[in-house]
Amino acid sequence: MYKIDDHVAVAVAGITADANILINYARLAAQRYRYAYQEPIPIEQLLHRICDLKQSYTQFGGLRPFGVSFLVVGWDEYFGFQLFRSEPSGNYGGWKAAAIGNNSPNADSVLKSDYKIGDTDMKKAKSLAVKVLAKMLDTASPSPDKLEFSSITLKDGKPEYKVYTKKDIEGLLKDAGVEKKESSGDI
Amino acid sequence: PHSALLTSSAASFQMSILQYNGSAIVAMVGKDCVAIASDMRYGIQQQTIACDMKKVFQMGDKLFIGLSGLLTDVQTLKQKFDFKLKMYSLRENRPMRPKVFSSLVSSTLYEKRFGPYFVEPVVAGLDAKEGPFIAAMDLIGAPVFAKDFVVSGTTSDELYGVCEAFWKPNMGPDELFETISQSLLAAVDRDCLAGWGAIVHVITKDGVTTKQLKSRKD
Repeated sequence: MYKIDDHVAVAVAGITADANILINYARLAAQRYRYAYQEPIPIEQLLHRICDLKQSYTQFGGLRPFGVSFLVVGWDEYFGFQLFRSEPSGNYGGWKAAAIGNNSPNADSVLKSDYKIGDTDMKKAKSLAVKVLAKMLDTASPSPDKLEFSSITLKDGKPEYKVYTKKDIEGLLKDAGVEKKESSGDI
Repeated sequence: PHSALLTSSAASFQMSILQYNGSAIVAMVGKDCVAIASDMRYGIQQQTIACDMKKVFQMGDKLFIGLSGLLTDVQTLKQKFDFKLKMYSLRENRPMRPKVFSSLVSSTLYEKRFGPYFVEPVVAGLDAKEGPFIAAMDLIGAPVFAKDFVVSGTTSDELYGVCEAFWKPNMGPDELFETISQSLLAAVDRDCLAGWGAIVHVITKDGVTTKQLKSRKD
């Protein structure tokens, strides 16, 4: 998971080396916008720029596409909190809940059934995210070191990107009811 | 006979582009603290337009840059440094240290060696490990790292004088504030292009205190 600017962050699935290029590009794009307009880049504008780059590698140059999918989260003053998913083709869509990477189709179907549009606050969202992630990892109770968790919230009216500590994650797992229980001792 | 007096403009003889707007910047080192101060005049040659123009900018938690010279370049450079600082902190996942920042400022200016930005910056910051740091540069990036104080702007000559007289080592934050304020106020009263208000930032390990000074508005 990477911060792109104060108000936008991404989660990556795919070839890490390819992702690093795109993340750097995204960071530069965000700063260039900020420099030109003296305001933070709207989330979809940023995503659009990244996806245009991804697309160009599918049409020009004889180069292979970036093997990367992104989940882009952020807040801007025009559209509030947003979540987008993009893929190697450069296609992107806005979502209420989404997953990428291993077992993501399964996760998508769980999200489709369990995410209640209009009735999911931050607490429920975090809980659901943790549960779904556990399912994707194929474990009943993942250990906190195996998870990365971050969020973007508004603090005093300004967006803030927070990376959760191991302790925070333990708390999350507990609240979601998927905490690692002491092994009873298998034979 | 009618004396054909052509209406003379209020503009005086322009000496240099660095004197088009006018400014006074000073930074001083104290005991585990630094202070940086500037005047607030925005003027175009002899005319004063505003008295609330920022010339000192907070670039990080304990890092400030004061930029004297042509105001448009002052503002553009501030925006450019915001860009570069943000990229650095995102990539390196840590804030930029004052010494490193002043190197960045220096190289940014030298890149335009044969078409420079008309600014003369002053960097002031509190390094987490090495304590107080101040530096000043000319318009093409030549740095001076001082242990006591640095000055910049149309009032630099006057500021050198007062600072040399008033500065002493190991001043605490309150004494430093008094010293830098009195130095600035005394100096700008001898410079018609700077003054019209002043602002002082004192940086200690506990945080930053900012105060505006009441000065002569002429």
